Amino acid sequence: MNNPLVIILSTFISVILTISTFPLGYLSPDWMLLIILYWMIAVPSMYNLYTVWLIGIIADVTVGSILGMNALVYIFLSFIVKELHKSLRYFTIIQQSIIILIVFLIKVTFLIWIDSLLGSEIFNIDMYFVALSSALLWPAVFYSLRYFRRRYNIA
Amino acid sequence: MDRIYKKSTKEFYTLVFLALVSAGTIIVDHKYKQADYARSMINDLIVYPIYNISSMPRNFFTSFMKEYQDIETLESEIEKLKRENMSLKINLQEFEALREENIRLRDIQKKTKESSNKQTIAKVLNNSASPNKKIIIIDKGQNDGLYKGQNVIGIKGLIGQIIESNSMSSKVILINDKNHNVPGVVNRTGEKVIIAGENKDNELLIQFTPLDTTVEEGDIVTTSGVAGRFKSKIPIGKVTSVVKDPEKKFSEIKIKTFENLSNISDVILIWDYKPISEEDTTKEETNNE
Repeated sequence: MNNPLVIILSTFISVILTISTFPLGYLSPDWMLLIILYWMIAVPSMYNLYTVWLIGIIADVTVGSILGMNALVYIFLSFIVKELHKSLRYFTIIQQSIIILIVFLIKVTFLIWIDSLLGSEIFNIDMYFVALSSALLWPAVFYSLRYFRRRYNIA
Repeated sequence: MDRIYKKSTKEFYTLVFLALVSAGTIIVDHKYKQADYARSMINDLIVYPIYNISSMPRNFFTSFMKEYQDIETLESEIEKLKRENMSLKINLQEFEALREENIRLRDIQKKTKESSNKQTIAKVLNNSASPNKKIIIIDKGQNDGLYKGQNVIGIKGLIGQIIESNSMSSKVILINDKNHNVPGVVNRTGEKVIIAGENKDNELLIQFTPLDTTVEEGDIVTTSGVAGRFKSKIPIGKVTSVVKDPEKKFSEIKIKTFENLSNISDVILIWDYKPISEEDTTKEETNNE
């Protein structure tokens, strides 16, 4: 399997998962960033920042936030994770989950900052539940994507 | 060593560039509302097809269930509908008389606003289209002539308004969204109120009414038409509790909506009312000069 196909498929599946978990409300995890972060750690050369930015724009349209908000956060976080991917690979799955928790806490904080800068106060402490649910999902995402990576020899 | 350094700085500049670009799109989207076109294009090309694919299993399941409904239940349903139809027809006779009277009175007032009976029924594609906001997606869009700000109602009362219309689907913000306020009026007392959403399923809140308010439990609240966003006299809900707390200096009134906002399957779009947008008001001002 070549990389563009993997990117398109991952994006497609993550949008479906995002849409279908909307009814969970504040608990609905951010599948798009989770899957980008997995590939950033496993195959850092696969996504470049432009692709991540485009996926962020798609995320903005899907979630209905201001255009560019998620894109901005996605490129910052994936840049940081890409820089750290060598050390992250040697972490255990629980340590990785904790890192993912911190990454998503940063993400939510950023989004709240941008929102309050633009004057729409939607702050609610429940918004941080996204970080918790995404971190709990990390092992599932990690093992299933690793299975696909090994099965189809993606590198 | 040199090459690694160069590569990482190149990536860093890409990051800075993209950050500036997204700051630009945020500002454009927030301030100038010019990004609507790009947004609806991405929606039509990418997100809407995925929506359809993801809702396919559910649609298949519901249609499968419908086919296997008992004939008996269908017959009882027909019986029920017949009875309902009868009582509605009786009501209609009364309304016919009222309508004619209304037209006559309007003629006297010289305020003949065109009131067509055009309505469009749209299906709800997704009942919650955002994790933090109360937004639903319906299956009609610009192709059917829908526009931003159009009032969306149900059979029983107000549901919300359109905030984004793409070519084949539209997003509707519900009145129970936390950032959404409806100017309303209490029917019995005539008191003008602002009804805010609370992100709760069927509950709305009137926050700032004076302590000596005469609003009681059971009063019906409708839209007032102030500010020109919503058509007037659309029913919203019933007052369920009035809490007068002297320490807060205001009384809190809770309203239960007539429409079940947590589970909507069909909505009605009304055409005989066009909300006044900011551009229109400025045009009117210039015309007056």
